[in-house]
Amino acid sequence: MNGHVHTLLCPNNMNLTKPIVIIAVLLLLISGCRNNSKRQIRLAVNVGVEGEALKQAALDYEAQTGIHVNIAAFPYANLFEKEQLDFNARTGAYDLVMLDDPWFPRFAAKQFLADLTPLLQKRGQNQPDSDFVANSIALCRHPYQTGTLFALPYVGNSQLFFYRKDLFEKHKLPEPSKWDDVLSSAKKIQEAENAAGNKIYGYVMRAAQGNAAVADFMPIFWAFGGEMFDSNGRPTVNSREGVEALKFMLELGKVSPPGYASFNADEVGAHLLQGTAAMSINWPAWISPFDDPAKSKVIGKMAFTVLPGAQKPGQAEIGNWLIAIPKDSKNVDAAIDFLIWATSAEQMRLSAQRGNPPTRISIFKDAELISKYPAYPAQLHSLETSRPRPRTAQWNEIENAFGIFLSKANSGELTAEDAMNQANAEIDKIIQRQ
Amino acid sequence: MQKLTRSFNASSRDLLFATLLVTPALAVLVSLSIYPLLYSIQIALQTDGPAGPTWSFANFSRLAGDNFFLAAMAHTFIYSAFALTFEFVLGFALALILNSTIRGQRVFRAAFLIPMMIPPVVVGVVWRLMLNPNFGAVNGVLRQLGINTEQLTWTASPRLALAAVIAVDVWQWTPFVFLVLLAGLQAIPQEPYEAARVDGSNAWQTFRHVTLPLLKPAILIVLLLRTMDLLRVFDQIFILTEGGPGFATETVSLYIYRAAFRFSDFGYAAAMSFVLLIITNLISAIYIRLLQSREGVA
Repeated sequence: MNGHVHTLLCPNNMNLTKPIVIIAVLLLLISGCRNNSKRQIRLAVNVGVEGEALKQAALDYEAQTGIHVNIAAFPYANLFEKEQLDFNARTGAYDLVMLDDPWFPRFAAKQFLADLTPLLQKRGQNQPDSDFVANSIALCRHPYQTGTLFALPYVGNSQLFFYRKDLFEKHKLPEPSKWDDVLSSAKKIQEAENAAGNKIYGYVMRAAQGNAAVADFMPIFWAFGGEMFDSNGRPTVNSREGVEALKFMLELGKVSPPGYASFNADEVGAHLLQGTAAMSINWPAWISPFDDPAKSKVIGKMAFTVLPGAQKPGQAEIGNWLIAIPKDSKNVDAAIDFLIWATSAEQMRLSAQRGNPPTRISIFKDAELISKYPAYPAQLHSLETSRPRPRTAQWNEIENAFGIFLSKANSGELTAEDAMNQANAEIDKIIQRQ
Repeated sequence: MQKLTRSFNASSRDLLFATLLVTPALAVLVSLSIYPLLYSIQIALQTDGPAGPTWSFANFSRLAGDNFFLAAMAHTFIYSAFALTFEFVLGFALALILNSTIRGQRVFRAAFLIPMMIPPVVVGVVWRLMLNPNFGAVNGVLRQLGINTEQLTWTASPRLALAAVIAVDVWQWTPFVFLVLLAGLQAIPQEPYEAARVDGSNAWQTFRHVTLPLLKPAILIVLLLRTMDLLRVFDQIFILTEGGPGFATETVSLYIYRAAFRFSDFGYAAAMSFVLLIITNLISAIYIRLLQSREGVA
């Protein structure tokens, strides 16, 4: 039997030296990785400008401190899945995670994140410094604004109102500050330009189901006085104000390009860059492409301002990227050091130069940066008056259901009343389930 | 008696040896297939309560009252039925045409297979661009032909979106039906055709009584494979419309994905997956029964 085994393993009495050497080298390599004495932390980031700036910062950090920052970059949707799976399985695969603020209530409610206050206190800080925009820090607390600090804000996005100042000047229209003016100006521009043979739509928006439709609707909904929930936490999207807001969105749809009910950021961006739409709600990340001659036909023609109001003053939806430390991280101390460093004023200035809107007031007010990013004053104003999406752990489901009915109304499948009534019923079901 | 013992020893040694050989494969099967299956049954039958998970059929009973699930199920059936019909009819017709000796046969055969070679995600991206109402190639061509495309918003229209995603599936998977049926046609021997000719049967009679019965196994296999694929369709739709506009093209697979990975509701997603699995199995069983009864029918 032994003889059999021997011939099986080494046919023709093959020399065993080679395989043994190979195995030994492999083992050495593996143990080399394991026993790497160099300290390292692992960071999950978003693919895109937000994560890219953090990647650059990580390289600087390694050069300064010798601590290796291992970066795992994922596209937006996958990042949430990866983090969620890692937190559920408690693997501690990441020491720091970037997260979009609507994910925060779920992660915080499930107690997946480390409380930052004791870690900051150990380093002589009682709380995050007052240079951070208050609305951004409020997002990092659970419960909202008042609770425990579980993250620090890294990218300070909030919506802005984009419009073609050349067209507004040409047609002698005032800067849009009320939604009614937006609609009447959109109609005027579209009619006059179409009569002159230019294919320009008065407005363009995202009404694809899910996040897109909801994000483009919320500022209208809030301005018309709509509220998603009453004081008991029951949905109220089908209130009179809510239905009026959706009806207004459908009016705007009539001066938007056909097919907008399936538009996402790409399609809206394309229309604005091609100069075929005059107004839109959009995010700061879309500002810089307008000055890129390779992409833009509207160089120097766009203006950015705060969101229009109606019955209530205009409010933008806030959409910050936060950085948090998972509770199961095995390098909490190294992680908090990096987090404090990466969100410091000095680093945030570099991040801003790399294209990320900051979350610190001093950076928004920096003269040198304002000359590079003229929309900074409007951005700061928008951020300071912005509103978060409702802070609930079930936001993903609620947004999905709400977005489906908004999209159905915009594609003509449902009336505004039916869409809001059905959305209200579905949102109520989601809430009742928990 | 002695002989018996010896043969027992021999067979038990064989058994041991056989077990040893099978063990690695078995271990892989248990860890990668059986354990996840049992685990998914467990989470489908559990719901999170305040005092930890409890066993119940709540995930399954919730399905009956979930309008989104029922709509997604209806879309999945409509999608599968229409795509299967078009793919089969077109694929069969192409196979019959290219089975006869016509000029340029090889070029056609190769060209028809191209869509099938493209990954579904790429197909989704390409068609998403082509179907864009403003900048897309489809409406561009129609405009050149003088057709008003103002209302043809394809994937943004609640009336056209499902038809558009079905058309893309037909474009991509008709070649597969064509390929299998062509192989089936070429495997049919010449003798039955000669016999039919001698008996004086016309083209339709030959097709009905010779080609169809002999091609039945290939037909059933291609229908079985396509049905299984169609019922779980995900990638092209995810890229093309992400289930929209509204909910118009949401299929069960997309909804399962959403429940699991967006809402972290793994138990509910597992319950939906089992329902889809059972339906797919039932339909497959019908095909397989038909396939097995081929002697009886022919």
